[in-house]
Amino acid sequence: MKYKLLKVIDTAGLSFLSPVVRLVTGEEPRKQLQDIARFILVPTITFLAFLWLWSVVAPKHKTKAGEVPTPSVVWDAAHGIWRFHDRESAKEQGFLLIGSARESELQRATARLKEVEELETRAQQQLATIRDRSKERFETAVAPAKTAYDRKRDDYRQFRTQQAAELKDEAALLRHSDSATRQEFLTKLRRNAETEEALKAEVDRLKAVYSEAQELTFPEVKQAMRAATLLGEEKQFLTKYLDMLGESSREEKLATAEQRLEDTRSRFLSTTDEDLYKLGTNLLKQEDFLSTTADSRYAKPWTLPKQIVRSLLCVFTGFLIASAIAIPIGILCGLSPTFMAAVTPFIALFKPVSPLVWLPIVMIIVGGFMPDPENHWLVVALSKVPFIKNYGIDPMFISSAITVALCSLWATLVNTALGVGSIDKDHMNVARVLRLNFTSRLFKIIVPTALPLIFAGLRISLGVGWMVLVAAEILSTSEGIGKFVNDMYTNGSSQSFAQMFVVVFIVGFIGMLLDRIMVFLQRLVSFDTAPAL
Amino acid sequence: MRSVEIFNLAKFYPNPYGEPFKAVVDFNLDIQQGEFVGLIGHSGCGKSTVLTMLAGLNEISDGGIVVNGREIDGAGPDRAVVFQSPCLMPWLTAFGNVMLGVKNVYPHASSNQRKQIVESALSAVGLADSMKKYPREMSGGMQQRVGIARAIALKPKLLLLDEPFGRLDSLTRMELQDVMLDILHREKITTVLVSHDVDEVVFLCDRVVMMTNGPAATLGEVLNIDFERPRDRASLLQDPLYFRYLDHLVSFLTERAHLRTEPRHYDSKSLLTFTGKKIESADELSQAVA
Repeated sequence: MKYKLLKVIDTAGLSFLSPVVRLVTGEEPRKQLQDIARFILVPTITFLAFLWLWSVVAPKHKTKAGEVPTPSVVWDAAHGIWRFHDRESAKEQGFLLIGSARESELQRATARLKEVEELETRAQQQLATIRDRSKERFETAVAPAKTAYDRKRDDYRQFRTQQAAELKDEAALLRHSDSATRQEFLTKLRRNAETEEALKAEVDRLKAVYSEAQELTFPEVKQAMRAATLLGEEKQFLTKYLDMLGESSREEKLATAEQRLEDTRSRFLSTTDEDLYKLGTNLLKQEDFLSTTADSRYAKPWTLPKQIVRSLLCVFTGFLIASAIAIPIGILCGLSPTFMAAVTPFIALFKPVSPLVWLPIVMIIVGGFMPDPENHWLVVALSKVPFIKNYGIDPMFISSAITVALCSLWATLVNTALGVGSIDKDHMNVARVLRLNFTSRLFKIIVPTALPLIFAGLRISLGVGWMVLVAAEILSTSEGIGKFVNDMYTNGSSQSFAQMFVVVFIVGFIGMLLDRIMVFLQRLVSFDTAPAL
Repeated sequence: MRSVEIFNLAKFYPNPYGEPFKAVVDFNLDIQQGEFVGLIGHSGCGKSTVLTMLAGLNEISDGGIVVNGREIDGAGPDRAVVFQSPCLMPWLTAFGNVMLGVKNVYPHASSNQRKQIVESALSAVGLADSMKKYPREMSGGMQQRVGIARAIALKPKLLLLDEPFGRLDSLTRMELQDVMLDILHREKITTVLVSHDVDEVVFLCDRVVMMTNGPAATLGEVLNIDFERPRDRASLLQDPLYFRYLDHLVSFLTERAHLRTEPRHYDSKSLLTFTGKKIESADELSQAVA
């Protein structure tokens, strides 16, 4: 049992857990504690230190999108992203609810709305009282900056007017003076301008200090504001949700449409004084409307979880394309030095090309194949596949996937060629003695030998693909994580700044997960017991 | 009946800065059906080269090899090889490794028949219980047994052993030598063994071919081993003749391997002592042994 567990842990690449298992089973506690300290405690401490450093350094840098978010703000943003997803899913489901389920949900939501409304009013009041209470504190905190600024500004104004008047008077007296005196006057003017400039700079500096001080908010105010905003958001959601459950729900819409259709139909059949042509066309239109309403769904916006799934779908599509190209070519390269020589220039030339160069080219080429993407056979076929149809496969998706493939296939290709090329000479001798034909040589000896290296290549490819994908999505505005980042960047509020930080962690985490999966697969196909890195 | 005929066999390796390097020249040898021939010589003298040429893994530069009336051209399962290292496929079990060749050699056999062939070959080397094991789960001796099973499962006309016991400890080596003798006694396969272990060749072989030192190595002496078969190690070790054979072989390797003479043939009646002196009478023989 213990060794089975240890083996599973080792194969899954979670070797940092093995000292814990060993400790629990009482094997050399001293050594296990040392290992735990090294492999679990130290990383945890450094990560915490990183979080601390981040939370200290981040607020010091002001940007046009607000402060750099601290870890807690980022955590909040992550919650916000999740809440948005949750609520949109609720609306989507509410739209489709029927019968008694809809009724009961309607009641529940109404009750909750009432509750939230009360809470929100209370929160707003509380916010107001807290603001009032802190007003004085605010004024006293800001006052020194304000007085300093005011005083300096007045000084500056006074200086300017006074000096200007004095110099004007002096100039009036100089009308009949000689050139030397005039020269002296010019110097005086210049000196005066310089003094004025210096004063102005000082005033500007004080103004900046003052406006910065004005941004001072006290933690309790911040907290009250946040509570009020959260409740406000919930209220807004509930109102919309109730609409989706009530008047805008599919059931209600269908009922109204049916009612209207019935009316029109009976009028069409029995009327004597109306225009039958007009009524008839109207009737047909309403029939159409009824059938579209029956299939209608809530127009759910893209939420990050859905975008993540689409990105994963895209990266795996690209990865599959890359593998399908790279493994056979890699095997051919490994088998035939001539073929390798033929392919080498392409590898050397295309490997370093950035995804940002490939993508526009691929987009144009794919666009050429799909002049009418909606009705292209591939898009139509994919829109019928159960899971994939929810993710709106379009030319942008295909272009991104092909870009991922173009950037990631090289690692697999080179590694496969290397693996096939480095096959043991003795094994080939055995194959010759046994007179294995080409296919059994390929599948019984060559491919199994090369498999660990092929998987090492696939692992690198998947990692590269995941990195490339986000860039490709930003550029192609294909829905996905990259699109999310792009939206956040163009939208540019302080909240979206924190959401971009959330994306960093999500992308990193998923990348790590993909890598672990590949390591796991690599270990499964490795016949020797040497652990893969 | 002649099974193998080697005539004027030579191997040259290209040398970019001069004449081709002559590894083996003028090697002539006939091997009878069912005969066990040992090939012995100093390391680097080209005995493995001769063997790989017999196997068809090494190109023949001059001369030729005829096996069962046909000149060989490339490798084939009629000449099975047991390599010095077991050379098993690490991703296949013992069974799978033996099956690899069996599938190809018996294309018309049913899967059940093939299975039987593999199982009997593995049982013959004493691995009936370890068929499902992977190479990494087996000791070096067991792996070499699989190598032997893989060779004999092909029912070859000629079995080529390239220092198959060289990397094993002496106990395992003795075990495998007994296994080998046992199998060959039953199957009567013509066998060529390359070795640098004089005990091994005297114990196993019907005839020992001594090769002169390289470069341009060739056949030096041939010694017939006249022990009856089946052979028993314990009684052989009691036999004074056994040590006389050893003496002759060692004396060749130390005293005469560098000489270039016409190949000479020896048997139990014409053995040389360590100093190369010929022994005429039975008296002298017992004296020399003492």
